[in-house]
Amino acid sequence: MREFRYERAADPAAAVALLAAAPDGAFLGGGTNLVDLMKLGVATPDVLVDVRELTSREVADLPDGGLRIGAGVPNADLAADRRVRERFPVLAQALLAGASGQLRNRATTGGNLLQRTRCGYFTDVTKPCNKRSPGSGCGALEGVHRNHAILGQTIAGSDDPATCVTTHPSDMAVAMVALDAVVRVLGPDGEREIPIAELHRLPGSDPSRDTTLRHGELVTAIDVPALGMPSRYRKVRDRASFAFALVSVAAALDVRDGVVRDVRLALGGVAHKPWRASAAEYVLRGMPATEASFAAAVESELEAATPLRDNAFKVPMARNVVVRTLLDLAGRDTERELA
Amino acid sequence: MRGRSGHSGPSVSTDAGTRPATTATTTPGRIGDSPLRPDGTLKVTGEFAYASDLWHDDMVWGVTLRSPHPHARIRGIDITEALTVPGVTAVLTADDVPGENAFGLEHADQPVLAVEFVRYEGEPVALVAADHPETARRAAARIRVEYEVLPAVTDPRHAMDDDAPAVHRPGNLVRHLQLRRGDQSVTAPVVVSLDVEVGMQDQAFLGPESGLAVPAEDGGVDLYVATQWLHVDQRQMCLALGMPPEKVRLHLAGVGGAFGGREDLSVHVHASLLALRTGKPVKMSYSREESFFGHVHRHPAWLTYEFGAERDGTLVYARARVLLDGGAYASSTAAVVGNAGTLGLGPYRIPNVAVDAYGVFTNNPPCGAMRGFGCVQAAFAHEALMDELADAVGLDPVTVRQRNGMREGDRNITGQLIDSAAPVAELLQIVADLPLPPQRDADADLRALPGSVGNTTHGEGVVRGVGYAVTYKNIGFSEGFDDYSTARVRLEMTGGEAVATVHTAAAEVGQGLITVEQQICRTELGVERVVVHPKNTAVGSGGSTSASRQTYVTGGAVQAACVAVRDVVLARAAASLGREVSQLRLDGEKIVGASGEVLTGLAEVLGEDAVEETREYRHRPTHAIDPETGQGDAHVQFAFSAHRAVVDVDVELGLVKVVALDTAQDVGKAINPDAVVGQIHGGSAQGMGLALMEEIVVTDGHVRNPSFTDYLIPTILDMPPMQVKVLEYADPHAPYGVRGVGEPPTISSGPAVAAAVRAACGRPLRRVPIRPEHITGT
Ligand SMILES: Cc1cc2nc3c(=O)[nH]c(=O)nc-3n(C[C@H](O)[C@H](O)[C@H](O)COP(=O)(O)OP(=O)(O)OC[C@H]3O[C@@H](n4cnc5c(N)ncnc54)[C@H](O)[C@@H]3O)c2cc1C
Ligand code: SF4
Repeated sequence: MREFRYERAADPAAAVALLAAAPDGAFLGGGTNLVDLMKLGVATPDVLVDVRELTSREVADLPDGGLRIGAGVPNADLAADRRVRERFPVLAQALLAGASGQLRNRATTGGNLLQRTRCGYFTDVTKPCNKRSPGSGCGALEGVHRNHAILGQTIAGSDDPATCVTTHPSDMAVAMVALDAVVRVLGPDGEREIPIAELHRLPGSDPSRDTTLRHGELVTAIDVPALGMPSRYRKVRDRASFAFALVSVAAALDVRDGVVRDVRLALGGVAHKPWRASAAEYVLRGMPATEASFAAAVESELEAATPLRDNAFKVPMARNVVVRTLLDLAGRDTERELA
Repeated sequence: MRGRSGHSGPSVSTDAGTRPATTATTTPGRIGDSPLRPDGTLKVTGEFAYASDLWHDDMVWGVTLRSPHPHARIRGIDITEALTVPGVTAVLTADDVPGENAFGLEHADQPVLAVEFVRYEGEPVALVAADHPETARRAAARIRVEYEVLPAVTDPRHAMDDDAPAVHRPGNLVRHLQLRRGDQSVTAPVVVSLDVEVGMQDQAFLGPESGLAVPAEDGGVDLYVATQWLHVDQRQMCLALGMPPEKVRLHLAGVGGAFGGREDLSVHVHASLLALRTGKPVKMSYSREESFFGHVHRHPAWLTYEFGAERDGTLVYARARVLLDGGAYASSTAAVVGNAGTLGLGPYRIPNVAVDAYGVFTNNPPCGAMRGFGCVQAAFAHEALMDELADAVGLDPVTVRQRNGMREGDRNITGQLIDSAAPVAELLQIVADLPLPPQRDADADLRALPGSVGNTTHGEGVVRGVGYAVTYKNIGFSEGFDDYSTARVRLEMTGGEAVATVHTAAAEVGQGLITVEQQICRTELGVERVVVHPKNTAVGSGGSTSASRQTYVTGGAVQAACVAVRDVVLARAAASLGREVSQLRLDGEKIVGASGEVLTGLAEVLGEDAVEETREYRHRPTHAIDPETGQGDAHVQFAFSAHRAVVDVDVELGLVKVVALDTAQDVGKAINPDAVVGQIHGGSAQGMGLALMEEIVVTDGHVRNPSFTDYLIPTILDMPPMQVKVLEYADPHAPYGVRGVGEPPTISSGPAVAAAVRAACGRPLRRVPIRPEHITGT
């Protein structure tokens, strides 16, 4: 592990200033991801600015019925918040589907959003990985990639510096993408708001960057606007609990008179970022809320899939779990569920 | 190898089981009771000191530099920069090994520190000691090793090809076991066959490898370490350190699970070398990641099986080829091949047999001992094939197994007489007759469904399946190994109370041996207070805590030592009371006469004296098998178990919920019924884990998932409640009639789960662990 300095700041602005002056530094949330990566030599910050106590630990009501979630809110608290459970079941369920009780007590909302990939080549410093060590190649493309992406990868050959086929591991972020959350950020140049769909990136030609955040930008809160639809999170994994997703789905569905009035759909475990299934949503709006429509919608989304040698199973898995989730939601009366 | 050394040293009666009933004492906590284990509360409350908690005030920390390559030539090692790191007290390489730079359980083929070659990813190359573990790690990173990467053998199926690079001279074969019995040209009207593949399982113990080496004034070393067999460690350490056993003293530190993964050396020689060099106590403790490289794993296997049978399902012949990937060093591969070969057709009566079992060297991680030792892999094949046979002849899976099941008085495939209970049919009947779990109701709790709290189904796509498996496993060391244990028992009065002290070197690894030792002392000596002396090499070898053998073999030694102590005490009492020894017994700290009358107190007989006796116990000898035919009395005892698994499978998503995993097992005699059931629960979970999720993924010689985030073991949500039925058919050759308990459940549970999943989804599923994509076929 590289030697590092540990800093606490008086307020968020001071934290941002500290990091602005430390190009190799990093913010520290709960540390459940960052510290592991430091132990493995994958992350090598020279300064840690602890923001866990500094960013808000409050969940506050927004005028429209939405919620402002402080970046410091522990995952466990957020999942247990009565308003979250009532208004955004998808979010509470996604949080509870992630990690373990102990980890959720420690992990923060900001840290969860920005946790790094679980690709085994990324976490093994002796192996090539364009994300960790740009230009070194992608070990996963021809290697072990059973739990890698089926959508939006950059596949340009193992040695090509652009190649990256991994997934984003967060469950919470998938729900937030479906919820059209807005990420509030404080940077050296002041505050800005980033629609969450624009926060996480596809690898494109630069797999080293997970997000569009600039160095020193602090996530202070996440706004979740009112939803007005029943919502669900479902997660498929290799064991009953305490495992990352093979495929997950965050969905919200508004059905009136048997017709889909509105739908939100995001997939986890399938891409470098939480995958908003916009194509499926587009196909589905105005269609009868039937199994056939649901299947057609998700199949249209998955048409773009480019599975790798060993993960083609994720395509039908994603299809099946989406159809089931939508059927489940369609079987529920929107008015009653929201009453 | 484990099978070859001769019989030596004094021997005591091997038929202790035929002594007059010795459970006559009324002392609480005796045999057949389930007293609280002395380490139980400490473990549950987090106060138990594991090896990783070892501490010495002026200790320094040792770390290991390991090879990043599966196969390479070492061109040079430059330690100068590492030595300049402040805080570093020593940097050692192969040149610093004073004795023979080699160790190994059966063959000393593994260098303490790599010399010219590294043969697997993670092979130790150099050591650093420093005042802080992080300092030591940083210094290790500054050791420059120049490697010339060599072509690696990573597919064991090609390890014996002519053009395969040699991992060792003269070649890549560790052992070929050839077994032929009966008519080799026989044919049968019904023939079924299959190929099965078993992934590499990890022991996944929670306590990583740890030890503390303390240099001693006599120039020797005291090593406190978590291990399974102090004396076999000592033997190997003496060789490497170039020291006599008196100077290499081992003490058992708190063991956090073992399952075979602590049979081979880990930190032992390394920490001792650093301690002897620095003159300071040296602590070494692996991280979880390093632990995956720091111990051997269960051999992955490729099995090709064929059964020929009559139309009524009676087996006519069996042919099997088993290939085990031994990895880079021999470890216990030869003995695992021995088991896979001699026991690999399961507990069935088969007149005509041809088995070829191979263990090969590759540049993959070394594989060796793990609970179930060769029988686990084979059971997936013979049990899957039994179900094929059942289908082919139109029988149900229970009947076909019962029809072919071994019985007492049969000879097994090596020609060995099964001379005690072999209740195969009965065990199967018991599990078949146990109540089935209720059908899933419409409002089932998510935790009862495949996908569990992932909320993936509310019953959609879920199909139920039931599967059966039965197994047998050898207990104790086989093939002519001189397998014994030693116990020293002392009886004295302390503060007005009689206290027995039992001293063995047999490792308590969590299985409950220390409780059993206490129970035997209470039973034999009639005193309640039994102190278990810390385990160390100051007493003779206890043999390995493996092969399900300690309650049998160390139990036998403790019994023998107790009997010797009792004989002395009763002789004294007889002399002073003027009675016949045969009319006296010890009970409740009293000398009691034939009809139970108290004659005098133990205190009166012992006075200030302590009576102490040491005994060795050997089980009946086993024998090497014939190299051509594989025939011979290879094993000392067999233990049988059966499982019935009930699963709900989400056939659309490929997820499995094991709804019930019920079992019946013959344990001969349940010395500690709670511990017996605990072993059966844990063993069943471990077998289920291999069937459904546990696999070390190795590609091109590299381990891809060395963490508990990526190497999945079952959680409590994955494990169903179990119905456990315990039979007690005493083995007349074993102390108290016991039969080893720990391994059989690990062997029969996995194949039962696999069979149940097959039954539910209708796919052949020839590889374990079974993954969602195998179930959905996508
Ligand atoms: C064994 C294990 C299993 C897990 N299983 C799951 C799972 O199933 N599903 C799942 O979703 N997650 C899982 N996780 C991941 C877990 O959710 C994350 O580790 C956790 O959410 C990270 O939060 P943290 O506060 O500890 O972040 P940290 O580790 O402190 O930080 C993570 C990253 O975010 C940055 N950061 C933190 N806070 C801020 C901020 N306010 N502004 C800007 N940058 C910031 C840090 O610099 C760092 O780069 C698992 C983790 C472990 C260890
Ligand atoms: S998939 Fe991405 S993270 Fe994984 S090795 Fe390739 S570049 Fe690295």
